[in-house]
Amino acid sequence: MTGVRDETPVIEARGLGKRFGETIALDGIDLRVDAGRIVGLIGPNGAGKTTALNAILGLIPHDGELRVLGQDPWRARDTLMRDVAFIADVAVLPRWIRVSQLLDYVAAVHPRFDRARAETFLERTSIRPRVKVKELSKGMVAQLHLAIVMAIDARLLVLDEPTLGLDIIYRKQLFDALLEDYYERGRTIVLATHNVDEIEHVVTDVIFIDRGRIALQATMDEVESRYREVRVHPSRLTAARELVPIHEREALGQRIMLFENVDADRLATLGEVRRPSVADLFIARVGNGASGGPPR
Amino acid sequence: MKADREWNDGVPIYRQLRDRVVAMMLDGVLAEGDPLPSVRNVAAEYRVNPLTVMKAWESLVDEGLVEMRRGRGMFINAGARALLLKGERQRFLDEEWPRIHETIERLGLDADELLRARRRKKP
Repeated sequence: MTGVRDETPVIEARGLGKRFGETIALDGIDLRVDAGRIVGLIGPNGAGKTTALNAILGLIPHDGELRVLGQDPWRARDTLMRDVAFIADVAVLPRWIRVSQLLDYVAAVHPRFDRARAETFLERTSIRPRVKVKELSKGMVAQLHLAIVMAIDARLLVLDEPTLGLDIIYRKQLFDALLEDYYERGRTIVLATHNVDEIEHVVTDVIFIDRGRIALQATMDEVESRYREVRVHPSRLTAARELVPIHEREALGQRIMLFENVDADRLATLGEVRRPSVADLFIARVGNGASGGPPR
Repeated sequence: MKADREWNDGVPIYRQLRDRVVAMMLDGVLAEGDPLPSVRNVAAEYRVNPLTVMKAWESLVDEGLVEMRRGRGMFINAGARALLLKGERQRFLDEEWPRIHETIERLGLDADELLRARRRKKP
């Protein structure tokens, strides 16, 4: 792209693990995220998404090897936080603070905060500087949070369920901000979500996580060349099953099969070939497992 | 570009973005010498990742329809429309015309009749 590709990965994990008492939240996962990518971390509730993000952000100690921008996030959290910005799925802004005071605070503590940029962003919303956080709606709090994070010149931006419970206007603003800002500065984004449809075309890479393990890690280009969905003609069902589909479902009375690494020309003889949606791929790879069902 | 986020699942998205630009060139919405919309604008507008848009723009460069001007962005080449028309005419003659011609023969229509029917339709 714009020459931002760096040799050292932004995130690299080997055997990353985390247990809470008897519960294994992360079961020794391997991860690699390169600079300039937009990565969708996708999994049902309780799959280990938030635990993985917390380890990456240095909020919890971990087992195994983990490097974020070349550093151990648990040991080097303070220096790392200059280059990493984060939006949690729970609002953490103090309720009593005024918007202008919040900007004062961030400007004082964060060396890479561009206050003018945050103010420009806020001018496009109905949030006024004198207002207190407790007077803002949930969507406005999210906008305020986004304004601050977008004004921090970070190399890695981490978002945990960024659109959960928010309306369509905010969602549009979020994706506009991410995609415009992202391209300009070539930063890396990790987006944890269970709302697959919304981010399907936005991400350059997907990581499926389920019950503490990685079920799939691939670029979207790899997904597109590796997986194909076929609406199988009724007379070709047996021939199709001989090619061992990894998943089969029915829609409007037709069998739809998902294939991995099967030649496209061969599949074309079975019926209409299409690119599978990430949601269908997720169900095929992870299944309707016990850990909360498929993402929607 | 108007953001219609409906995608056809049979064709890669970068290809569909490329096709939309080509349609805009054929319709004269984008003229020779015009800049292409910026990657980040299109990415945000269509809600697709910038790498996908970049790939679409690169395929237009490979086809000789667009050129990259260092530091200034992408521009529609002089002669791009003629190049496109040539390609589209050839495609029509190779793919569509044989089928249409076959129908005309089958129905026993002659050239005069066809042209007269066309003139009557015109406003």
